Amino acid sequence: MTDIGTSIPSVTVRGPQAPGNTAALDPVFTVSDLSVFYGEYEAVRQVDLSIGNREITAMIGPSGCGKSTVLRCFNRMNDLIPGARAAGKILYHGEDLYGDHVDPIEVRRRIGMVFQKPNPFPKSIYDNIAYGPRVNGTKGKMDEVVEEALTQAALWDEVKDKLKQNALSLSGGQQQRLCIARAIAVKPEVILMDEPCSALDPIATTKIEDLMQQLARDYTIVIVTHNMQQAARVSNRTAFFTADVDDKGERHGRLVEFDETSRIFTNPTDQRTEDYITGRFG
Amino acid sequence: MATPPSATAPGTSPSLARSRPRHGEQIIKVVLLLAALVSVATTIGIVVSLLEPTIRFFGEVSAVEFFTSTSWGPLFEPPGYGVLPLVSATLITTGIAVVVAVPLGLGAAIYLSEYARPRVRQICKPVLEVLAGIPTVVFGFFALSFVTPLLRGILPFEIEIFNALCAGLVVGFMIIPIVASLSEDAMTAVPRALREGSFALGASKMTTSVRVVLPAAFSGIVAAVILAVSRGAGETMIVYIAGGGQPNFTFDLGKAMQTMAAFIAQAGSGDVPIGTVDYNTIFAVGSLLFVMTFAMNYVSARLVRRYREVYE
Amino acid sequence: MAVLSTPRSAVQLASKGRPVREHLFRIALIASLGIAFVFLAALLSYVLVEGWPRIDSRLWENMPSVRNPDIAGAQSAITGTLWVISLTAVLTLPTGIAAAIYLEEYADKTRWWNRVIELNIQNLAAIPSIVYGILGLGIIARTFGLGFSVITASMTLGLLVLPIVIIASREAIRAVPPSIREGSLALGATQWQTISRQVLPASIPGIATGSILALSRAIGEAAPLLMLGAVSFIRFNPDGVFASYTVLPIQIFNWISQSREGFHVLASAAIVILLLILLLMNSVAIWLRNRYQKRW
Repeated sequence: MTDIGTSIPSVTVRGPQAPGNTAALDPVFTVSDLSVFYGEYEAVRQVDLSIGNREITAMIGPSGCGKSTVLRCFNRMNDLIPGARAAGKILYHGEDLYGDHVDPIEVRRRIGMVFQKPNPFPKSIYDNIAYGPRVNGTKGKMDEVVEEALTQAALWDEVKDKLKQNALSLSGGQQQRLCIARAIAVKPEVILMDEPCSALDPIATTKIEDLMQQLARDYTIVIVTHNMQQAARVSNRTAFFTADVDDKGERHGRLVEFDETSRIFTNPTDQRTEDYITGRFG
Repeated sequence: MATPPSATAPGTSPSLARSRPRHGEQIIKVVLLLAALVSVATTIGIVVSLLEPTIRFFGEVSAVEFFTSTSWGPLFEPPGYGVLPLVSATLITTGIAVVVAVPLGLGAAIYLSEYARPRVRQICKPVLEVLAGIPTVVFGFFALSFVTPLLRGILPFEIEIFNALCAGLVVGFMIIPIVASLSEDAMTAVPRALREGSFALGASKMTTSVRVVLPAAFSGIVAAVILAVSRGAGETMIVYIAGGGQPNFTFDLGKAMQTMAAFIAQAGSGDVPIGTVDYNTIFAVGSLLFVMTFAMNYVSARLVRRYREVYE
Repeated sequence: MAVLSTPRSAVQLASKGRPVREHLFRIALIASLGIAFVFLAALLSYVLVEGWPRIDSRLWENMPSVRNPDIAGAQSAITGTLWVISLTAVLTLPTGIAAAIYLEEYADKTRWWNRVIELNIQNLAAIPSIVYGILGLGIIARTFGLGFSVITASMTLGLLVLPIVIIASREAIRAVPPSIREGSLALGATQWQTISRQVLPASIPGIATGSILALSRAIGEAAPLLMLGAVSFIRFNPDGVFASYTVLPIQIFNWISQSREGFHVLASAAIVILLLILLLMNSVAIWLRNRYQKRW
């Protein structure tokens, strides 16, 4: 993060121009007092934040600060890790995401996810997209679903002639857009992205960032990123996390500041945020 | 462009509760668990099938006679129930096998792990696998009709047509692949840095192999040897075909001997009436063989776990 | 490392002793491997040369005979092997693969019973095959009352190779990257959908390779079947799973036990057939392994 320079104005902030950004937040998720444990270890402590409808919310911070852990609570992917447990509340449209009646599989159908490393299935491009709708019980008209998802993910023109080809033959950037298309095909309301560009080159990264801007018209997006410029370029709001080290030497992630992206990058209220975004730390 | 996602307004989205029941998932998990439990049932089955007749056997034959008498002939008249001839035959043939398999297997392993170029390894390892894949009845046939006549031609002393020496030698060749491939695994697990440290001190390849790699892989190699020994001790067809069917208590390698496994095969393939002492004898010897091989496998598994902990 | 601790002068660097010793050591290593290979080559060429005169249609068209080696064949043993191995495959492959799926995808490793299952499989893999014969005799043939039949043989061999199937399938399943499972689950697939539509298809080559190797072990196995009635003189093909049977390795053993030279030739010929079957199976396994190795 040394390329960011030391003066705040050098960071280009796109946030305010992004569509749908208003001061009034229409919450999809409301997180209050969320702590996440792995066995005895408290990985994240007491997080409060809200995710706005059809906004892009970025979660930034140094590694080990728990931003990915929080992201994985939104679709209950943390359930898959033995011993993982969430305390506190995450409301999704007012409904407790960790309530007893809630089915994690139903949650994941509603809230899609894109991972750090592109992970297409070792199947054809077509089958990659069709997989989600199929397991969700969609029948018929699969061709249209596939075309629509690939079009939305700005991949259709590149792959329309080779839908039967193995997805692993695509380039890294194409694979990641395929993974986004695969998530869209299930028609989720929210798309979670866990450092989606960290394995990609700058050109592929730009394409994904443009795609995120377009998708934000229809979807709520939460993105975890290491790249502060990316957060500044694409997001409406930014949550800055850091890690505290306790007496025992254990690191506990916590949320430092959550605000509109323009304010986080131009006028942060917390000294630690300012240190991080100006490159003095992290 | 796309139709907006289904529900967006707060409160209007359908509940996150399970939309349709999924009992199938639970049933599948139970079915898979049952499949895994078949293996446990197998062990219980083996122990139960061995235990009951063994207990009956010791009801009729004293344990002292079983473990100390040197006369074995449950099917003879008068019967003898001393298991020592079977145990000594097992130890002798296994001992010969070890003398063959350990130097050759270890030499092959050092060569493959330290010396051979990748291309050579790629060819040699499948050939060893072929040796490992030969059915033991084929080894037995080869021992009886090729190796024994060959030995009789070249050895300065007399050996019988059925003899422990030939049986042990061929068992040795059968277990070479076990010694070689497991030892090679243990040696490849030794970190490169250790070798480089040795080379940096000016040590030669031989010194590095013998003084650095071998000691570092020692527990893994011992585990390989023990596993091979247990495989040799439990081997049936080779010793049954080439070693003969007479339970001689002797240390003359040129004589016929009957190992524990060969006795079980011989007595078990005959028509022994169920419930008789003769029938129970098979299970008593089986129990002893089971306990011996089980103990060896246990030690071997512990050693493997140890070297895994050190380097992985 | 006593050798290394003595300082060496430049003069010693030129000494001839070390290269010679190095050379001999290397030759000894190559010789160890070479001796094993010579043994294998001798075995294969011996059975081929011995059996050559009798590798003809009589072998699979005629039934066994203990009187006349010239008209004796191994048809009942060949069909018996096909019956026993097919049924073994039907019984043991689904069980082994299911057990592997349970252990890799469902079992919580912190639970003691799952660790017991795992340890138990390792131990089973090392129990001598003749002990499985005792299990087959005591439990399957007698307690279950299945007698000396094809199904008793198949169940016994099935249990014998079950650990091989489980261990190989687990390795194949473990080789599927976790990111594939995550990708599937994140789309709202259930665990079983993820396993059946992603994990299993991706691990089928590995599972198939392991299964073939396990079955080829079962084909060559004779010891446990000695105790399960296969030695009796069978002059007919099995007509069902409860029929009496014999198999190729046991037929070979019977011929070895005959003293007349003609039967040893016959045994060699039957061994060549058995080895060809195994060679074919192993080639398929190796081809599968190379064809589908590591796709990510």
